[in-house]
Amino acid sequence: MKRFESRLYLGIVAMVAVLTFGIGAIAAEKELAIGVSDALTGPGATYGLPQSNAVQLAVEEINAKGGVKVGKDSYKLRVISYDDKANPTEGTNAVRKLIDRDGVKYILGFCCSGPTSAVASFIGREDVVMLVGNAAERAITAQGNPNLFRTRPPADYTGSAAGTFVAQRGAKKLAVVGSLDVSFYRQYIEAFEREFEKGGGKIIAKESYSATDRDMTPQLTKVRALNPDALLVTGYVEPSSFVYRQAFDLGMKMPRYGFTSGSEEMFLKVATSEQMEGIWDLRPTELTVEALGPVGKAFLANYTKKFNIPPAPSAPYAYDQVYVLKHALENAGTVDDTKKVAAEIRKLAVPPEAVMKYIPIDKKMFDENGQAYTSNGAFQWKNNKWTYVSDLPSDPMIYSKFLRSLRK
Amino acid sequence: MGGAMIIEVAQQIFNGIVIGSVYVLIALGLTVIFGIFGIAHFAHGSVAMFGGYLTFYLTQRFGLSLFPGMAIAMPIGALLGILIERLAYRPVRDDPHINAFIIALGLTMLIEGADLLLFGADQVVIPSSYRSVINIAGLAMVELRIYVVLTTCALIAAMTVLLSSTRTGKAVRAVAQNRSAAILMGVDVEWVSMVVFAISSALGIAAGALIGALFAVAPGVGEGLVVKGFAVLILGGLGSIPGAIVGGIVLGVSETLAAGFISSAYKDGIAFLVMILVLLFRPEGLLGKR
Repeated sequence: MKRFESRLYLGIVAMVAVLTFGIGAIAAEKELAIGVSDALTGPGATYGLPQSNAVQLAVEEINAKGGVKVGKDSYKLRVISYDDKANPTEGTNAVRKLIDRDGVKYILGFCCSGPTSAVASFIGREDVVMLVGNAAERAITAQGNPNLFRTRPPADYTGSAAGTFVAQRGAKKLAVVGSLDVSFYRQYIEAFEREFEKGGGKIIAKESYSATDRDMTPQLTKVRALNPDALLVTGYVEPSSFVYRQAFDLGMKMPRYGFTSGSEEMFLKVATSEQMEGIWDLRPTELTVEALGPVGKAFLANYTKKFNIPPAPSAPYAYDQVYVLKHALENAGTVDDTKKVAAEIRKLAVPPEAVMKYIPIDKKMFDENGQAYTSNGAFQWKNNKWTYVSDLPSDPMIYSKFLRSLRK
Repeated sequence: MGGAMIIEVAQQIFNGIVIGSVYVLIALGLTVIFGIFGIAHFAHGSVAMFGGYLTFYLTQRFGLSLFPGMAIAMPIGALLGILIERLAYRPVRDDPHINAFIIALGLTMLIEGADLLLFGADQVVIPSSYRSVINIAGLAMVELRIYVVLTTCALIAAMTVLLSSTRTGKAVRAVAQNRSAAILMGVDVEWVSMVVFAISSALGIAAGALIGALFAVAPGVGEGLVVKGFAVLILGGLGSIPGAIVGGIVLGVSETLAAGFISSAYKDGIAFLVMILVLLFRPEGLLGKR
């Protein structure tokens, strides 16, 4: 009897153990590591850090709702992040680490064109999907990599719309002060100039500054002497805010247009609201309250609550990347076959969770180049904030064909 | 047309004098150390950036305005200079110069790393209320920029009085002229060493605070500043205080005139061009001794 009882107890313990661990094994959640390569420090961090934060926010939202459902499995997303410092070598190293050491197949982020272009040059040969955010260099999608997609439209798509807009506003002699050593700003200016000249205007000066310059008084003094009737500033927000401040100090009150995509907080660190009053920013219709629907407003509230600071205009490009990936994985039914996932991204409609207002091409979010398009907008600084004024005249279908024509 | 050109030239000269004033402060800090000890103190740019960050912290934490904040940061900077002398350079004082050079590079990384840890990677702009603009026939002079020039003049005057009219200053000049003779005359060389580094760092802190108010303090800015500082040293004459003053202003004005009348792409390249030309044709510098 004693032997029977001890065997019975042993049997019960064994059964409980099998049930506990067995059921645990069957129900074990799976995890999918995704990579982020972005500028977390240095001059690009004003664009890269908000993107990285936005990815984190989207991942937490998706995981809280059970993760990504691929076939019968659910995958919780785990983010592995590296700092590319807006530098091509660092960007290449970051992506190589993600692919070779961490085994990641889906890489997001990419705020800055330097590192992004470097990675785009080899990513077509890798078994990964690359989702690009704020980096605006045209060649990134013009190359036609089948596994690369970008949520932000290229700089020259916005530049040509801006040139038409400024010409319509009556400017005839315009001076440019910009980061002319950065190719996507140059592309913006070239496209701007083409349309501006069609509208009867002329660019009378092009003065340059670098991402680390903070004293642009020599350039502005030279431009002031030429007596332009409008000024165009194109560059990263940190040095550009000094351009606006110093232009005001030099008494340059003509209409000032920009392509900088900075938030109010970024500009107010450097310039006063009085110095910013009346300045235009001609850019994709990025995060701004007037243009947001309920999804965008929720993103704004959740981001601000989590990070104690409102999101920068670059943030939604990365937020939307995560939801694009989520839907593509679910539609493909696989996390391993990147070609299948890339094919699903190509067919994808704009996800309902997307913050930015994308213009679909043939009802799809991305065109044949892997490029998505938002509308372009004219924003003006009024009373401490960027105020959406109107759309800029732009045609993504025509631009999409032009982008395709560039492919060698 | 002639009048407009005169205004443009005058504006560029004013712009150049302002930025040149900051170069003067950086160069003075470098030249006192190089002139007396022969040490190329490459970490001086990082010390200046620390000064900018420290002044920003003092203005934000205690509600101080720019100049009171700077006035408190400068003695703290002087203490930092003494620490740098005692712990970093004194141990290698009698070693080959290359050792001090390596120490300087290491110090640069150490101070920049500490700045990053303490203050983060974002640029900081020291707020100031000196925003009004004086306009004289088209020449626009921002109040803050005028104060930068005046502050530099005041600091130069203070340093001149210290070196020419005080016992400590006499001791510093004695060591600069002949270290061995100074020792024989009973001058405490260790004490002079600390004083020189204290003065240098205090001037660097002031330069960093003024840069932080005029423009911004950020990782990497210090490296550019110290390169300009050495360009001024070479231009003005290694170890020459009047040379550092003249050289700083000449470099600042050259940069702005080059950007204004040749190309903005040449603004930073002017410093290197100046160094090359001076080394080729007048290696002792404008006011250096042959």
